Amino acid sequence: MGYEPLVKKNPLRVLNLAGNNKKMGLIMARAGVGKTALLVQIALDSILRGKRVVHISIDENLEKTKLWYDDILEVILQECSVAQPHELIEMVQQHRMIMTFKESTFNRARLEERLNDLILQDIFKPDCVVIDGFDFTNMDHDHLEDIKNLMENLRLQVWFSATSHREDDRVSPSGVPAPCHELDDLFDTVVLLQPEQENVQLEIIRHNSDVCSGDSCHLSLDPVTMMVKQGD
Amino acid sequence: MNKDLEKVRNIGISAHIDSGKTTLTERILYYTQRIHAIHEVRGKDGVGATMDSMELEKERGITIQSAATYCSWKDIDINIIDTPGHVDFTVEVERALRVLDGAVLILCSVGGVQSQSITVDRQMTRYNVPRIAFINKCDRTGANPERVVNQLREKLNLNAVMIQLPIGLESELEGMVDLVTMKAIYFDGEQGDQLRYEEIPDHLKDDAEEKREELLDAVSMFSEELMEAMLEEEEIPEELIQAAIRKGTLDLELAPVMIGSAYKNKGVQPLLDAVEMYLPCPTDIENTALDLDKDEEEKTVSNNPDDPLVALAFKLEDGRYGQLTYVRTYQGVLKKGENIFNTRTGKKVKVGRLVRMHANEMEEIDEAGSGDIVGLFGVDCASGDTFCDGKINWSMSSMHVPAPVISLAITPKDNKAQDNMSKALNRFSKEDPTFKTFVDHETGETIISGMGELHLEVYIERMKREYKAEVEVGAPRVAYREAITQRAEFNYTHKKQTGGSGQFGRVGGYMEPLEEEEYEFVDEIVGGAIPREYIPSCDKGFQASMEKGMLIGAPITGVRCLINDGSYHAVDSSDMAFQQAAKGAFKEGYKKAGAVIMEPIMKVAVEGPSEFQGAIMGSLNQRRGMIVGTSEEGNYTVVEADMPLSEMFGYSTTLRSLTQGKAEFTMEFSTYKQVPKSVSEELIKEYEESRKNG
Repeated sequence: MGYEPLVKKNPLRVLNLAGNNKKMGLIMARAGVGKTALLVQIALDSILRGKRVVHISIDENLEKTKLWYDDILEVILQECSVAQPHELIEMVQQHRMIMTFKESTFNRARLEERLNDLILQDIFKPDCVVIDGFDFTNMDHDHLEDIKNLMENLRLQVWFSATSHREDDRVSPSGVPAPCHELDDLFDTVVLLQPEQENVQLEIIRHNSDVCSGDSCHLSLDPVTMMVKQGD
Repeated sequence: MNKDLEKVRNIGISAHIDSGKTTLTERILYYTQRIHAIHEVRGKDGVGATMDSMELEKERGITIQSAATYCSWKDIDINIIDTPGHVDFTVEVERALRVLDGAVLILCSVGGVQSQSITVDRQMTRYNVPRIAFINKCDRTGANPERVVNQLREKLNLNAVMIQLPIGLESELEGMVDLVTMKAIYFDGEQGDQLRYEEIPDHLKDDAEEKREELLDAVSMFSEELMEAMLEEEEIPEELIQAAIRKGTLDLELAPVMIGSAYKNKGVQPLLDAVEMYLPCPTDIENTALDLDKDEEEKTVSNNPDDPLVALAFKLEDGRYGQLTYVRTYQGVLKKGENIFNTRTGKKVKVGRLVRMHANEMEEIDEAGSGDIVGLFGVDCASGDTFCDGKINWSMSSMHVPAPVISLAITPKDNKAQDNMSKALNRFSKEDPTFKTFVDHETGETIISGMGELHLEVYIERMKREYKAEVEVGAPRVAYREAITQRAEFNYTHKKQTGGSGQFGRVGGYMEPLEEEEYEFVDEIVGGAIPREYIPSCDKGFQASMEKGMLIGAPITGVRCLINDGSYHAVDSSDMAFQQAAKGAFKEGYKKAGAVIMEPIMKVAVEGPSEFQGAIMGSLNQRRGMIVGTSEEGNYTVVEADMPLSEMFGYSTTLRSLTQGKAEFTMEFSTYKQVPKSVSEELIKEYEESRKNG
């Protein structure tokens, strides 16, 4: 594709998490730290490798979700010049589809129906799904496992975002905070974002079901773009 | 007339199709006693709404031309412009907004923020128009004003705050609670003429308190006094809240939300009160003009009747008595019998008849003060011209006019129709800047182009009815364009020797793609390789070449032509020779510049029940569409897609049969994009065949 250098500072690539196909990942952070931006980075990384992404926004509108992509793409293009930026922008548009749902009506059956609409009619065959704004507070293990099975059957990689709360200090043995502390066995990768002065700290808590520790699991990100900071 | 400008409101009413704009306007006219009976838009009495004066509008139940009217509410004069909802008539909305101070954005309580509400809102933002939102049709099944308020916040990013609470909904809609005065309002009498103010019903008291708190929180930031009063937990005077709402609205930082059902005669009078209280008067808004004598320096218009006149002609119409020009005065006074100057043409005209418009009826007046919107007869001008009284030379800035995307060939049925057709076309293109017409020299056909199928259909119908010009209509065509994709050199010599003096000129340089602009000419000739006097000839030659591309004969856009070399002959060189040389050079370069065909891409939004989402997406996908995304809300879904216009002909029929008539779509122009190779080959083949046969 030739666009790969554009995302050389994409955190997933730096941490070697990018090629992690057909797995389920989770990004956790408190409100406003940058979960959506990181999900968009994950999506863009896939797109620039020629893959297709369905971006699901729950309780958010289409226009705003589109804006996330436009803004982040603009930053990437500012940092690395591309001969035909229009072609790149068009490619991103063609390889991405946004779906928005209301939280109250979002469930496995609906998701399956919608994805099948796309795949069976050959409208759009995604390789990766990112789900932003999914409410984990009332999620039971079985339900999420159900969704995981669906994604496995469809051979899709999936990334979720979840909001953790300051006042809730429950944590799973492997270090995954509430509200996902009882679901952590379902995720292959869990990433935590934390604000830290001028940066955002990215920490891998679990990867390929192993608990991670040590420097190789940490990265400092630019809070605006969620890209790896210069010099790191 | 030295009118108190604080008592004038120039407002627009705009919204998505079928949200009830015209019905609301009709009610406003009734309650302000401009009309004495209410007629429905699609009423069985055959009269139709007063504002839809055009026969066609009554038949179709849509508004095509924005109608201007005037009414008085309490001691306020309100000029109202009812604008069309259909995006094909978008220029009507644009020009209405250009001259309005405030607007009422109507939303359907069931449909909520629909695609055209978004377009209209964007237009309002472009012209900095403060607005009140009115959630209409609260009597409908499925009405949910609260959901609509959330959509106003989410989709339009408005700081929307409810200032009313419904009493009952759907068929039980009785009235509303005013959260500012904390009174319940009911509408008695057959036409809801009598307002009855009561205590808030018990079951709504808690809700009303809660919503009032929300309202106070939201508006307190616009008034320190109000904030203080809240902190001290005093009884808060109504005026304080109203002043804060007004401030927030005028600053474009707040959108007060009202509710009602125009059709059921509920909520219209409080809306008029709100127009008075919260929307700006002419002096609240800063309008600027360009001083043409001072290098287009920006000037703020004063609204002062004692200053020299500045008035903008924003809309033309062919009336029974000749051209009717709608004018808004920004300062000075427009007087019958006086001379005014058109600053674009420099021509002097005399103000003949001056009228106040009321849809298709009018009232003669002698003068119009600043801030007013009136009609002018017998003045020849184009839409967008500025008039001054000769003391100054100002021009109001121009407005946004989108390029037409679709065209039709029309042929008159007989000789008589031929004459009438050209009269009609002349008139329409003067009235509507998005409507264009020209004769294709190769085929001899008359081509009309505009913003959409409906747009052109309406003009053809008008030609028939108003001008008795019967025409045959060809199939709709897409307004394709050609563009180049790479830089290409040219070096062309035009030489002709025919007894006497010949023709000679050589032009060298290159052409390259130009983004965002249509054409640019760069002269880098040094040392007089081409004499100065012939440089404009080269420019002219290039421009002439841009009119018709070599692939399918479509106009070419986005080219920069640079000349840096050439030669001439002392005797044989001429203006003509260099024009020909430039044309030859363009042709030479164009062949090497990777020319492509561009087609208009439309932004399409299909709305319908969720069960049809798959089918809708399938139908768009089949038509070369790129689906951008889907939004689902309950059992309702919207699919957004970028679609080539050429694939959208006849889509309404497909969609109807696909969804049992339960889905509808809207479409507006988005951008030009290169057509795929397969389509491009097809188009070129077609063009070549038509030339062979033609």
